[in-house]
Amino acid sequence: MNEPREGHLDRQCWMVGADQVTSEIEVGRSSPERTRAANEVGSAIAHQLNGPLTALRLYLGEIRRNGAQFGDTTEAQDQMQQMVEAAFQETERVCAMLDAIADGFQEPLCPQSAVALGRDVIVWWSRSGAANADPQTPVSIHELLTPREREVLGQISQGFSNKQGAIRLQIGPRTFESHRARIMRKLRAKNGADLVRIVLGEKSVTA
Amino acid sequence: MAALRLHDPQPTPWLAKAAVRILVIDDDASVTAAIQAILSRRQYEVVVASRAHAGIHAFRAAPFDAVLIDLFMPGMNGLDTIARIRSKSEVPIIAMSGFRLRNSLDPAQDFLGLARLRGATMSLRKPFSSLQLVAAIEHSLGPAPSGEGALQ
Repeated sequence: MNEPREGHLDRQCWMVGADQVTSEIEVGRSSPERTRAANEVGSAIAHQLNGPLTALRLYLGEIRRNGAQFGDTTEAQDQMQQMVEAAFQETERVCAMLDAIADGFQEPLCPQSAVALGRDVIVWWSRSGAANADPQTPVSIHELLTPREREVLGQISQGFSNKQGAIRLQIGPRTFESHRARIMRKLRAKNGADLVRIVLGEKSVTA
Repeated sequence: MAALRLHDPQPTPWLAKAAVRILVIDDDASVTAAIQAILSRRQYEVVVASRAHAGIHAFRAAPFDAVLIDLFMPGMNGLDTIARIRSKSEVPIIAMSGFRLRNSLDPAQDFLGLARLRGATMSLRKPFSSLQLVAAIEHSLGPAPSGEGALQ
């Protein structure tokens, strides 16, 4: 930790994450929060392991595939082959463990875990609008929208243009457009196609 | 590039005609070095960028056949970069990330899923194996012009 190099921002941020855990435990917060904090630390570690492990897995897979030709005798070569195989198997095991760790996180990303992962995630996170959301509550589109917005969404998903939809609902085209904009904002759709995708897989909406 | 054909157990003749160019954008030098090592052994021409902006710059300067991109980098993130590239080109984009939002297959709950919504054609969950990497690249490039199956 003595000399933070450029490009190793994540290391510092991991320390930020660690501090939060200690302070939370000292204050004696409720156990779900403590679990969450522990998860965040685990998540941060898992995240940082990803790069080197990916490289290790790639190199070893390639060495194994081509057969390492080290050693003068056939016996020495066999031994080498076995060691490469063992190293490959161990790496696969570590990768599987990392997978299991990452799978263990039931908590979705919250601002604190974004801190642990680096400032850039936070920037993205806040820009995406997800930061303002309560990550715990999955909500159906039906709950999220007003009756009028649901009617408008119905027209959109049937493929009608703003103008056609406005006429069919007997409202002004500008009103239709403002409803549409609000729907897109609520469902966090980036464009029309994205909106349709969200409507088709209704589960993917979280408020 | 044909001169670099050193140890390829399954030679793919169509590759030797013109080098397939692959752009790798990832701030993690250990990942890019490994990807470069794996892919250049298979006669792909690999260009590495450690930042999104450098990657976009390289992409504008010369055409690529596929782009591999990490989702979290200092500066512009991978999701925005994917959207930027996609707005200009139909090139296959493979998103890479080890980070997941939750234990869920729900695309909107997962960064790789988000990457696909932004225009990525495939995704690789880190740490991925060399087999997965090569399969993703070959799948993205589509069937070989010679009629030879590209996948496997």
